[in-house]
Amino acid sequence: MVNATKGLFVSCDIPMAQFIVNLNASLPAAHKFIIHVLDSTHFFVQPDVAGMIRSAISEFRDQNSYEKPT
Amino acid sequence: MISGGILPREPMPQSVTARLPTSEELDAYAHEQWECFLLQLISSGQAEKSTSFSSSMMRIFQRGLLRQRDKEAPRLTESGFQFLLMDTNAQLWYIIREYISNSEEQGVDQADLIAFLLELSFHTPGEAYSLDTLTDDQTTMIKDLADLGLVKLQKGRKESWFIPTKLATNLSVSLTDSSSRKQGFVVVETNFRMYAYSSSKLHCEILRLFARVEYQLPNLIVGAITKESLYNAFENGITAGQIVTFLQQNAHPRVAEKLPSVPENVTDQIRLWETDLNRVEMTPAHFYDEFPSRDVFEAASDFARMHNGLLWEDAKKMRMVVKAEIHMLMREHLRGQNK
Repeated sequence: MVNATKGLFVSCDIPMAQFIVNLNASLPAAHKFIIHVLDSTHFFVQPDVAGMIRSAISEFRDQNSYEKPT
Repeated sequence: MISGGILPREPMPQSVTARLPTSEELDAYAHEQWECFLLQLISSGQAEKSTSFSSSMMRIFQRGLLRQRDKEAPRLTESGFQFLLMDTNAQLWYIIREYISNSEEQGVDQADLIAFLLELSFHTPGEAYSLDTLTDDQTTMIKDLADLGLVKLQKGRKESWFIPTKLATNLSVSLTDSSSRKQGFVVVETNFRMYAYSSSKLHCEILRLFARVEYQLPNLIVGAITKESLYNAFENGITAGQIVTFLQQNAHPRVAEKLPSVPENVTDQIRLWETDLNRVEMTPAHFYDEFPSRDVFEAASDFARMHNGLLWEDAKKMRMVVKAEIHMLMREHLRGQNK
């Protein structure tokens, strides 16, 4: 019988994919959100982590930018 | 209307009208009124004088453009930002559309209004036309149009008349007619610095939307296009395409002849920064595996593809990801397959 799992399909580029894998590994076992690693640019994750992933990415982006002090 | 038809309205003779404004004075008047109206619309509090539109009329115009939460200053919505970056003709048509759809609620016949507007657009700008030729509805409308800068009202000793400005005659001109384009004022350099030769508060507000304004001199606004200022703009719903179009359409005449009028490294970088914000795409979906046989898998995959819902599949391991919207349909299909 076919098995169906509900979740979120994530599609990105390879560096972002590595970032997400790293993020997943850094979380304690109860919070790990990746259900399947489909290939180098796609994941299947828990359904409610969209906001968390986006804020982690924007934090990562802010760390890389320099703002001239006004 | 079989014959060619003359305008139902003739310009008034020079003997009655006193000194008519020159075309530069008229253009300046129209420009000033329109800017005043726009500034008041986005209620930046910087308009020097407010128009005589009732506050309920202003609220109708602001309906799609501003959003106000209780106890907070009104904020521009996404369409509000895009409205500001639009071409003057497009903005004018938006306001006129709102005005017309509102007039129905006030009991004025829409067809009359639209006919009058089209008539107005065929008058000669700079010529005076008597107010006596207007019906009551049209007279009310003329007063509103004067506030927008489409006509100028003047009074003589015994008569009053209105003078259509270029804004009115441009109503019937196609939106892409470049002869009616006003002069540009923005110079963008390859080092991302921006110089806007304008003393208009409205221009300053618009530039603040996506650039960091550094100095404001009496006839020059100096600023820079930075990542932070652009991120601000993207968060407010403005797209990179709109910003680039605005810069290209308003390029200063000195750079407008060069090709490209805005340096490509600036336009490319604006687009790159926009895509940087959307590096990850997330779609609610369902994951299917443990198919009993390859045939069932292929049938299910074709079914999903037909309904435009197949996001990913692995034929070797017989696994697939399908959009959440068609999950119910997939379930029905698989149940049908089982029998």
